[in-house]
Amino acid sequence: MNNNAAKAGSGATQAGRPARLSLADWMPKIVMAPTAVAAIVCIYGYMIWTAVLSFTNSRMLPSYNFVGFDQYERLFMNDRWLVALSNLGVFGGLFILICLFLGVMLAIFLDQKIRAEGAIRTIYLYPMAISFIVTGTAWKWLLNPTNGIEKMMIELGFEDFRFNWLSDPDMVVYCLVIAAVWQASGFVMALFLAGLRGVDSEMIKAAQLDGAGIITTYRRIILPSLKPVFFSALVILSHIAIKSFDLVAALTNGGPGYSSDLPANFMYAHAFTRSQIGLGAASAMVMLGCVLAILVPYLYSELRGERHE
Amino acid sequence: MASLTIDNVKKRYGQTEILKGINISIEAGEFLILVGPSGCGKSTLMNSIAGLEDVSEGRILIGDNDVTYASPKDRDIAMVFQSYALYPNMTVAENISFGLEMRKVPKEERDAEVQRVADMLQIGHLLKRKPAQLSGGQRQRVAMGRALARRPKMYLFDEPLSNLDAKLRVEMRTEIKKLHQKLGTTIVYVTHDQIEAMTLADRIAVMKDGEVQQLGTPQEIYDNPTNLFVAGFMGSPAMNFVPAKVVEQNGTYALELQASKPTVVPFPKPDSLKAYAGKEILLGLRPEMITEPQPHKEGAEFVVTADIDVEVTEPMGADTMVLTRISEAEVNCRCNPAYPVKANETVAMMFDTSKAVAFDKDSGQRIDN
Ligand SMILES: Nc1ncnc2c1ncn2[C@@H]1O[C@H](COP(=O)(O)OP(=O)(O)O)[C@@H](O)[C@H]1O
Ligand SMILES: [Mg+2]
Repeated sequence: MNNNAAKAGSGATQAGRPARLSLADWMPKIVMAPTAVAAIVCIYGYMIWTAVLSFTNSRMLPSYNFVGFDQYERLFMNDRWLVALSNLGVFGGLFILICLFLGVMLAIFLDQKIRAEGAIRTIYLYPMAISFIVTGTAWKWLLNPTNGIEKMMIELGFEDFRFNWLSDPDMVVYCLVIAAVWQASGFVMALFLAGLRGVDSEMIKAAQLDGAGIITTYRRIILPSLKPVFFSALVILSHIAIKSFDLVAALTNGGPGYSSDLPANFMYAHAFTRSQIGLGAASAMVMLGCVLAILVPYLYSELRGERHE
Repeated sequence: MASLTIDNVKKRYGQTEILKGINISIEAGEFLILVGPSGCGKSTLMNSIAGLEDVSEGRILIGDNDVTYASPKDRDIAMVFQSYALYPNMTVAENISFGLEMRKVPKEERDAEVQRVADMLQIGHLLKRKPAQLSGGQRQRVAMGRALARRPKMYLFDEPLSNLDAKLRVEMRTEIKKLHQKLGTTIVYVTHDQIEAMTLADRIAVMKDGEVQQLGTPQEIYDNPTNLFVAGFMGSPAMNFVPAKVVEQNGTYALELQASKPTVVPFPKPDSLKAYAGKEILLGLRPEMITEPQPHKEGAEFVVTADIDVEVTEPMGADTMVLTRISEAEVNCRCNPAYPVKANETVAMMFDTSKAVAFDKDSGQRIDN
């Protein structure tokens, strides 16, 4: 309808002032063109190029010697890649679960009409405004055995207190989880708080009259009605997890050794510092596959939902 | 089934008093309607009865039990909400049986109860659906089913029909009335629709600004409103309010109106006008009391025929509404469609003041009670 009105309007001006009209007509397209070109080239163009490179034996510079799936085979024989993948599994799984749990709990507590809600909400949401680099650096200091939390506890008199996960190859991945949860759970809280605020208050009253206590009301009625919010949070968190690069770079730099690498760090290391562009490209394609595996069903259900309305 | 007593209930939110001392008491099995304009505190009163809001002062009794401080689930009340408030993630059957489940009723009994309610409301074919897959009218039925399933002492309905279209609303209205006759349970029902109030209620409480203006049977409210607000709120088209001068005539008091010509009409309780002799009051006269001249009423005690200047006519099929101006006030008259009335003409009309009422011009209170 809007479109038609606009067309009718420009039609009317066409008769009177043709010169200005064509400029007005073209203006939006001209303004949008650089963005569109940049998006097509820089996102989809490079995506395709990466896909092409992953089938070549490129090392330091791109080459076009096609070697089929060799790079993918090498990738899945590579111990460092397997560590990165299993780290992603542990990190992603824990990060998503803990964030969802904490976010839901915080949202429920904030929903109890408490005082100073605005201030508390801001405090919890604030970490989201910080980049992962800052989060990583701050937590690197906090978790550092010689001058972080461990030192503080020892100075407080707990002589035997040990907290050295950052330097323990088996535990370092949990440090990533702690920092990422700190950063993202406030955001999940905000998502759920918005959802809770949208819940029909009469429905909660009905549950009260039906004899449901507050826990039952949340568990059986309110949270199930927030299924779409769960879904959105899950998608957002999992793609944060898969993309995570800066957090590792700032907090552990992949160490000790490569014990805290995530796929994005693997990809960066091989493509840009270790002259293994082909292998890096293959790992990038695997990550893209993971993201798509999450996004496509989501978009599909979203779009179908819209058509349903 | 239980009686309900609301004893001087007040409700404040911070400084603002929303309910200013409500006193209502109804018998077991009565159908009470709370009616009043939006924002007058009807929902607040309902929520207080249900225990969803604490009252600031006063007492609420269900039967002989003081439930002022009882939690909602211990009051044994079911409520139907304007938004229906169905649980979106549960099927219709689960919605209906949820309250029973919370009260630890065994599964077989719950299923039997769902079946009974579904049969009563003819929603058996919908039991497996989710609320999102139902039409507005069907959701309304499910919401009622959820209330019926627990067989509570009392039902509260908060504007249950206001989200339905006009035709469905009339159908459901009849059904609620039938249901009440069949179950005989105490019902408190909120509406801002005065036709719903008239047709359903055993007793009506007309509310305004957190106060009950009048509590009475529909006929009492219609015939004997205690003030201008109640008189103007109930009835459609509304009661006419005509400024009239109190004159002394043959040793009694009558009212002088300015129709086409000055006209004096008698008043059923002339003595009540004594204090207003020579002053203006507002005469309340329902539209159906100003009609075409009817031979069988000719010469009756409170009947006067006078000319009026017609401004507009509105044929409604069964009647024709005639709009005129008497003593500067707009006045609706209800005529037989066969009576020839045209706009901008002067015609004779019969004024029947046997049920007329009089209000103080300034305070709006009845003066002939
Ligand atoms: N929680 C609340 N806090 C403050 N004011 C409220 C609250 N709930 C209702 N009110 C006020 O109380 C008045 C009566 O509301 P309500 O009972 O919902 O009216 P009704 O149902 O008759 O339309 C309204 O003016 C409303 O603004
Ligand atoms: Mg209301």
